[in-house]
Amino acid sequence: MKKTIIPFGPQHPVLPEPLHLKLVMEDEKIVEAIPAIGYVHRGLEKLTETKEFTQNVFVVERICGICSFMHALSYCMCLEDIMKLEVTPRAKYLRVIWSELHRMHSHLLWLGLLADAFGFESLFMQLWKEREKVMDIMEETAGSRVIISSNQIGGTRRDITNEKLNDIVKILDTMEQDLKSVFKVFLNDYTVKHRLVGVGTLSKDEAYLYGAVGPMARASGIRQDMRMLGYAAYGELNFEPVVETDGDSYARTVVRLKEVYQSIDLIRQAAANIPAGAINIPFKGNPPAGESIVRVEQPRGEVLYYVKTNGSKNIDRLRVRTPTFANIPTLLKMLPGSQLADVPVLILTIDPCISCTER
Amino acid sequence: MIENIVEISKEQLLAQVQEMFYEGYRFVTATCVDLGDGKADILYHFDKDLEIRNFRLTMEKSDVLPSISKIYFCAVLVENEMKELFGLKINDIAIDYDGRMLLADDSPDAPMAKRQIIIEKRESAGQ
Repeated sequence: MKKTIIPFGPQHPVLPEPLHLKLVMEDEKIVEAIPAIGYVHRGLEKLTETKEFTQNVFVVERICGICSFMHALSYCMCLEDIMKLEVTPRAKYLRVIWSELHRMHSHLLWLGLLADAFGFESLFMQLWKEREKVMDIMEETAGSRVIISSNQIGGTRRDITNEKLNDIVKILDTMEQDLKSVFKVFLNDYTVKHRLVGVGTLSKDEAYLYGAVGPMARASGIRQDMRMLGYAAYGELNFEPVVETDGDSYARTVVRLKEVYQSIDLIRQAAANIPAGAINIPFKGNPPAGESIVRVEQPRGEVLYYVKTNGSKNIDRLRVRTPTFANIPTLLKMLPGSQLADVPVLILTIDPCISCTER
Repeated sequence: MIENIVEISKEQLLAQVQEMFYEGYRFVTATCVDLGDGKADILYHFDKDLEIRNFRLTMEKSDVLPSISKIYFCAVLVENEMKELFGLKINDIAIDYDGRMLLADDSPDAPMAKRQIIIEKRESAGQ
């Protein structure tokens, strides 16, 4: 059969960020897909070598808006490891609370985008209405809605009062009830299932081989969540990763739906157990020469930070492997054999973040 | 500090990576660190059951490094990235973008590489 090459992206209604795919088609069926990136490469890793190590907290937050808090957290954890700084217990709990708020707003944003991709506009609007409540909490606690700049090396820059934490838990309690009716549509609606069930199936072995991380891996039955490492205060909270086994687009959606509830539960636990005390520890001087690797679970999956210091105020090297960078190869497995009409959904199910990927 | 790190040579790389594959490790990523003296450190990171294992390979930047993408296909992007941004020579990448995955035709060569400044003392014209 004659083959046709269809360019998908970099500008496409379903893509909030520029990703290009060269799709080799036989009729409506994809036989090969080759990704192309490089439209928004900013050289942020190189930029960090020219800034002071304390300023880099703000640089890495700009790698990605959606998971900005976790980027800053990962960088700070690397420096705290090199500088042998023991973060205060309260700061560890605050880090969990803000991390989970970020995970919630990221997953709700993604679920809305997915609904929009398969043409369910009212579902999209309901999800983003709920997401606004999380953004409001972020603004009330940190002064900003997306890039909240609340991390610093040695702890956090801001505190949340216990009264405010109680208010947040009350908002999340109401939100949990409201989300049940919205999520019911996602889980049971015929049209939603028709677009997601059995689409882009990735087996457990394939997910492992192609290096899938985060909800992509967990939806294929891999019990892998960096929060299990116990960083920040995760080691003190009850937590079990959400794992599904079907490996299709529906399973990836279910993982993210359940993780929204899980985040609410983790915030509830953290607010109930947060100890009193200081939110950061002061330090003097430059970090000694050293290296550190830290892995953190972002909404899209595992992020790896490598930092090398040289004893001066500048760092020698920062390397960030973001979750989308790890999940793009899975697209090359999922797309061949799929129908052209499923491409938007398939691309969205990896929750692509191109600004993260290119840095 | 980095735990579970082992120094390996370029000749040992493929055998070591193959062993990690047979033992069921997931390839996390690779990290290139330009040492500034014509050498580079390549760190390969693997994970199994949340335990990370790292291998450090120190090489001359002018040397040719074999690709591990025939063993772990997911290494394709990071190997292309190291090739473009640090100017490394990596052979046989499963999908080779030939230096144009991130960079454009008018981009600087190897923008992440450390520039070596060599100051030479010149004899003055009268001497």
